[in-house]
Formats: sequence, C-alpha cells, structure tokens
Amino acid sequence: MKILRWIVLVVAVLVLNFPVLVTLITSFKSGAELSINPGFWIDQPTLENYAKILQVDDRLNIFGYLANSLIASLIGTTLAILLAFPAAYAIARGGFGRKALMPAIVNLRAVPLIIFAIPIYMMFQWVGLLDTQLGLGLILTIVNLPLALIVLVNAIDDIPLELDEAAKIDGASTFQIMLRVVRPVIRPALVTTFIFGFITAWNEFLFGLMLTTSKAVPMTVGASFFFAASGGGVQWGPASAVMIVGALPPMLLGLVMYRQISGSMTAGAVKG
Amino acid sequence: MDIARRTEWKILASPLVVFLLLFLGFPAIVNLIYSLSQVSFESLRSPTLTGPQNYLDVLTDSSFWSACWFSLRFGLITAVAECLLGLFLAIFLAPLIEKHSFLMAPLMLPLMVAPAMIGLMYRLVLHEFVGPVPYYLYTFFGDSPSFLNADNAFWTLCVVEALQWTPFAFLLFYMAYQAIPLEVRQAAQIDGASPAQILRRIDLPLMLPTIVVAFFIRFIDGFRVFDNVYTLTGSGPGGSTTSLSIYIYEAFFKQGAIGKAVAASVVLFIASFAVLFGLNWLANRRRKAAA
Repeated sequence: MKILRWIVLVVAVLVLNFPVLVTLITSFKSGAELSINPGFWIDQPTLENYAKILQVDDRLNIFGYLANSLIASLIGTTLAILLAFPAAYAIARGGFGRKALMPAIVNLRAVPLIIFAIPIYMMFQWVGLLDTQLGLGLILTIVNLPLALIVLVNAIDDIPLELDEAAKIDGASTFQIMLRVVRPVIRPALVTTFIFGFITAWNEFLFGLMLTTSKAVPMTVGASFFFAASGGGVQWGPASAVMIVGALPPMLLGLVMYRQISGSMTAGAVKG
Repeated sequence: MDIARRTEWKILASPLVVFLLLFLGFPAIVNLIYSLSQVSFESLRSPTLTGPQNYLDVLTDSSFWSACWFSLRFGLITAVAECLLGLFLAIFLAPLIEKHSFLMAPLMLPLMVAPAMIGLMYRLVLHEFVGPVPYYLYTFFGDSPSFLNADNAFWTLCVVEALQWTPFAFLLFYMAYQAIPLEVRQAAQIDGASPAQILRRIDLPLMLPTIVVAFFIRFIDGFRVFDNVYTLTGSGPGGSTTSLSIYIYEAFFKQGAIGKAVAASVVLFIASFAVLFGLNWLANRRRKAAA
C-alpha cells in the first residue's frame, strides 16, 4: 500500500507538471535534434536556445518583457496591500463595511474580469495609461485586491482585541495601533499576501493582452509573440526557452511560499 | 467618541473605496451607457444613444449562445473532474504528505504557472511534428488523434484546464482532511467501522462544505476561462472553442463591435451577479437554519 501511494504520487507529479517538463526538455534541444527526436531524452544538450533568446532585437525583447512584468507586478501587489491593509483593519476592528463592502469585493473574485476590460481600455486611452507599466500595475491591483482583503481581515480577526485595547490605554491613536501593534503581528500574512499577489500578477494575461501593445508588454503576452512572430512556423527551441524563463520566477517563488505557509503553520502550532 | 472612531474607520477604508469606484464603478457606468449606444472606435467619445438595440443583437446572436453553452459545459466538466481527482489525491496521498510535507511543493507547482503559458506549452506538447505525445502515440500505436481539431479541441482544453487546477482542489481537500479531529476517526475505528465506512460516513460528510466551495470556485473560474483557451486554440477551429470571455474579446478587438461587446459584458455581469446573489442567499439561509 505504501509503494502504491508513492507510485500514485510520482505519476501525479509527472502528469500535472507534464507541460512544464516537456518544455524544459525541449529548451535544451537544438533545432536539428528536435526535428528527429521529439521524445523525452536529450542526445546533445545545448544552451543555444537560451543564448538566442537573450539577444535582443526590435520585435522581441525578453529583458523588456521581464522588466515590465516585474514592475507592473510590484505595483499591483504593493498597491493592493497598501489599500487593503487599512481597509481590512477598519473592517475587522470597526466592523466598517462588513455587510456591503466586504461581500462586494469578495464577490469580485468571481466576476469575469473581461466585463471591466473594455471600459478600462477606453478609460486608459483617454488618460494615456494604455501600454504603460503603471496602467497595467493599477489593473493588477484590482486583480489582487479580493484575496488580499480576505487574508488580511482574517489575520486581524485572529489577533486578540486586548492587544489593541492595551495600546489604546497607553494613549496610542487608531492609526498608531494599526501600524505599530497590528502590522508587526500580521507580518506573516502580509508576506504571504505579497508573494501570492506577485505570482498572480505575474501570471495575468488578459489585461496584458488588451492594455499593452509594445512598451509595457508583460512576459505572458511576450511569450506568445515568440509563437506568432517568426515567419514560416514556430521556432520551438527558442520558444521553449522563453516559456521556461517566463515561468521560472513564479515557480521559484511558489516553492518559497510553500515553505512560508508550512512555517507559519508550525509556528501557530507551537504557540497554541 | 464613537462618532470620532467611526470617522477614523471611514478614513482608513476610503482609499480602497475610492480606488474601487474609479476602476470598477466608473467602468460599470461606461459599460451601461455604451451598451445602449451606437459607438465605434472613431466615435468613442461621442456615443449616440440608441436604446436596447445592442442587447437585441447579442441575445439573437447564435454565437453568443454557443459561447454560453461552451462556458457552462467547460466550467461544469472541469470543476467535477478537478474535485474528483483532487479528492482522490488528497485522501490517498495524505499519509505520505503528513510525513514528508515537502511533497506538497511539486504537487502545487502547476498552480504557479500562468494559464496562458500552460496553453502555449501544450501547443508544443501536442504538436504533430515536435510534440512528444503524438510522437509516442505514433511510435506505439501507429496513429495519433489530432487533439485540436473541431471534434477534440473542447475535450483537450478540458484536460488541460483540469490538470492545471486539480492541485487547487487537492490543496483545499487536504487541508480539510487534516482538520478532521483524529479522535473522531479513532472512535469510529473502535466501534468497528471499516476504512471505507469511515471515509463515507465521517470524512466525506465533514469535508462536504469544502467540496462545495471548491466546486463553485472552480466552476466560476472555468466558466470565465480565457487565457489557456486563447493561447492554445484561439477560438478555433471554426469558433468551436469560443468561451464567453473570448466572445466579448473578439467582438471588441476583432470585429470592432464595441456596443455588442459591452452589451454582452453587461449580460454576463447581470448573470454572474444573479448567480452570486443566489449563492449568498442560500448560504445565509443554511447558516440561519443551522443556528
């Protein structure tokens, strides 16, 4: 039975990660090898695909895509936390908007975002935010807000009210309590929100596709250019290398996040 | 004192509220006005009100209804598949993961990859000349189906979606399974319950709320699918994989039918609002009944 569990685990990991594994293998094959050997092994591993994609040309600029994704994601994650944290504090401690604001934002997670994409496209055109990192970052903030708010409200709900009251007796203002008392205590939740939000933002595609054309194209959209750009069929080797480079940052962060989650879980268990 | 504090709460929440009004409230109003107007890319700033014509166009458009049907089927099938697979993995692998928690990481990895990227990757995986799946099928069986033709594309997409998001269901179910107190299972064991009975009478009923939540989250995400479908099949072949999100996108960007695209958005918004409202109402009623 134990062996069977291990077999199921290995099969599940291989099948679930199959597209990533195939792409990783293909990224180390030369064009010549790929045409005769589409299988799982590599006869002559090569880095030529990676060397090729790192050469910047006018149409495809992988460093530009990576920088756009990084900056837009950082804006989208940081701003979401800056907006959500005080609101979460007001919701958790003051009961402000628990009836209307909170459900509205939580349900936002379930609304197809394409609904807002078209008017936002027009709005951005009017104010000149189309095809800018800031514009994309602002939209990624919306994408991140629901989850950020839920996580932070739950985290603050878990803090004993006595902590706030003790600080209040010491003469701290609401604003001071929020920053000096609550913020340090929910630091793990803030970190988790940040990492998760960054991954979500990095992986967003729809708004990147609609709201950027050249200057602010994020990695997910830029990767699809490698499929469309080359006349006479896709160059699969370089395309694979691009996908690996584009998928690597959130995957690495995900491994970090996994540790964080299990870390904070064990910390909670020790405390309890 | 209370009034002062209430003002403080308002101030703390106001940046979020302003931001939402700006980026969601304003677009909602734009949607509403444009959906009732005749508008093109040339006359973006001066729409002429024409009444409900755009809505009639959408509701009588057969491709709108086939897009609805695609999204509905896609959401249901993938949500069911993800929940069943996730449930199996969570319960079957629980003894292993309890001991070696790092095994969680490779199982969660698909959740970290952009769905758009996964769609692109499957273009490689399923490619008839360079893809390993057709290659091995040819080698061992002498034939390989064309995964992305009009007959198969829907099911290929379902598999692609289900394989990426099964880990999500797995994660939720594993957490719920871990949360069941050991004493409950031990007590049942002492009473002579078999493992199958414990699963059916204790584990599954206690996990039911989580299963319902996971199902609805996955259904909604499947219903509004865009990224992986767009990068893997576009909307083809022959429009056979047009989800609602893709229908709206194409009406706007490919046909320039702004009014129609916006009207379809409003219809979708009302529909999802109705569903969410119904769900909330149901959840509240159950909560009241339980209390």
